Amino acid sequence: MPGVKLSEVTKRYGKITAVDHLSLTVHDQEMVSLLGPSGCGKTTTLRCVAGFVIPDEGKIFIGDQEVTRVPPEKRDIGFVFQNFALWPHMTVHQNLAFGLRLRKVPKSQIKRRVQEALALVRMEGMEDRYPRQLSGGQQQRVALARALVLQPRVLLLDEPLSNLDAKLREEMRFEIRELQRKLKITAIYVTHDQAEALVLSDRIAILNHGKIEQIGTPEEIYQRPVSKFVASFVGICSFIQAQVIKLSSDGAVLSTEDGLVISTKRTDLTLGQSVTLAIRPEFAEVFFSRPANDVNVFPAQVARFAYLGDNVDCWLKVGQWDLRIRLPAFRAISAGQQVWVHLIPEKIIIISEEK
Amino acid sequence: MGIKWHKFALKTVVLGLIAFLVFGPLSSVILWSIAIKWYWPHVWPQEIGLAYWKQALGLQRDWAIAAVSIWEAFRNSMIIAFIATCTTMGLAIPAAYALARFKLPIKPLFLLLFLMPKVFPQQPIFVNLLPSFTRWGLAGTLPGVIIIHILVCLLFGIWITTSAFKAIPESLEEAAWSVGATKWQTFWHILMPLAAPGLLVSTIFVFVTSLTEFTGTFFIGLPFITTLPMLLYSASGYNMQFASVLALVLLVPSLLFMVLTERIFRPEYLGAVGR
Repeated sequence: MPGVKLSEVTKRYGKITAVDHLSLTVHDQEMVSLLGPSGCGKTTTLRCVAGFVIPDEGKIFIGDQEVTRVPPEKRDIGFVFQNFALWPHMTVHQNLAFGLRLRKVPKSQIKRRVQEALALVRMEGMEDRYPRQLSGGQQQRVALARALVLQPRVLLLDEPLSNLDAKLREEMRFEIRELQRKLKITAIYVTHDQAEALVLSDRIAILNHGKIEQIGTPEEIYQRPVSKFVASFVGICSFIQAQVIKLSSDGAVLSTEDGLVISTKRTDLTLGQSVTLAIRPEFAEVFFSRPANDVNVFPAQVARFAYLGDNVDCWLKVGQWDLRIRLPAFRAISAGQQVWVHLIPEKIIIISEEK
Repeated sequence: MGIKWHKFALKTVVLGLIAFLVFGPLSSVILWSIAIKWYWPHVWPQEIGLAYWKQALGLQRDWAIAAVSIWEAFRNSMIIAFIATCTTMGLAIPAAYALARFKLPIKPLFLLLFLMPKVFPQQPIFVNLLPSFTRWGLAGTLPGVIIIHILVCLLFGIWITTSAFKAIPESLEEAAWSVGATKWQTFWHILMPLAAPGLLVSTIFVFVTSLTEFTGTFFIGLPFITTLPMLLYSASGYNMQFASVLALVLLVPSLLFMVLTERIFRPEYLGAVGR
């Protein structure tokens, strides 16, 4: 099964550039998520691959074939819609069989293939139901089966889980991921839900303003974001602006405007450079009494907190900076309480954006 | 208990009122159609019988009964309504699909064009059309009247059909393309069945509009083409019996049409009309 390649794809709607010279390669059997806020161009990009939208510039390849101007029905793709888009006047069987019938597949084979596809999504025995007789989750399983029954070259999914409730959404993530692995199908998955992207993808492409900000494995995206946008979009992140004041083979030492001196392990910075420190909740330790170690230890005040059951989501004020961290739930804390926070040098992310 | 009683009373009154508004005039019409003699101040007809019905249906000829055979007018009405409805819907379906789906720069202009005959009084338009129709040899002919009916019906046809197509999510079409259906196959297998309730409403509306069309037929068709509304017009005012017979006859095709379509279409299609 072939991959998908987008080269310099651009789509404008009037004055708005929805997709801006976007290039992306999805390898054979790979699952890539397009992740971004609404209006970032992720759905338009997917619709370009499907052929529902014809880009103004650029080229799209499925395998070795250029499909930029090929109509959707000739692209051999499977598409799963956010609103399921099952045909309400057809039964589950008819929904799945429609594409096979158009391809003139013999009747006996149609029956077998429909049943196989329904078994894949654990919807056996539902052939004669109408879509309105199914729950949202069941409808989306049928929609998935409808896309898979034709054994398309590429599976395209447009926020397929966002109309389902939270619990079901979590289950379906794993199911879709397992199906994609089992069938070894190339897939592009559009979502605005970072957790979904982290669970599902081989690689995640973070989109903003019609461009890819960063593409990489979930680990790369989470641990080494290249911009503040990526860092704040995937996972929780606090930011501190600082300048490099000292360089050594051990790492750079930074200082903030209000005099916090922070040691890091980065050695590729230049003296005087302005950078952003990105700190994830798990990159900081909190002490309730002053610790012996005083490197990267700063006094902090609890600004506000929210009890989440297994832990406490806590906003600290460190100098002029806000720091969001997680505390174990068994520790009683109160707003205004004095604590000490230790920023772990090895873990601090340094973003040197030119902006 | 008290609340239930009030509700029941209210329901009865409302239903009674509706029944009276609908069936009151209708029963009066039925009564008039069988009244041979009915003079003031009598509450009920002094003499009843089927003489006007028989005369209208061509079963008898009696100079004392002021009614003519309606068969020619009935035939004309049906032919005109049938052809006008088929043509109108044939034009309206593609036009409505285009209006519902594509961003046409000329869309407002297009709708305005069809609104025009409804914004202006119809009479001057038809009067102005008459010389042209006469020049083209269409005045006083069946084709001429059919063309006028199409012009009158097209607005409703396109309007209702457009909203029928608009109500269908685009993703249902896209889903069809994604499984390999061409635009044409999508139209037949997905769009048409889903738009059926809307198309049905539109068709009934167009059919009834043509069946009862008066002004255009009056200017273009008379005196050579007579339809049921023409007969009704000339009978109304002085001949209540014959007018009542005609009014009831006019109801028949519409009722038949509705019963027929209800039989053909599945109930869920009709149920979706209100969406």
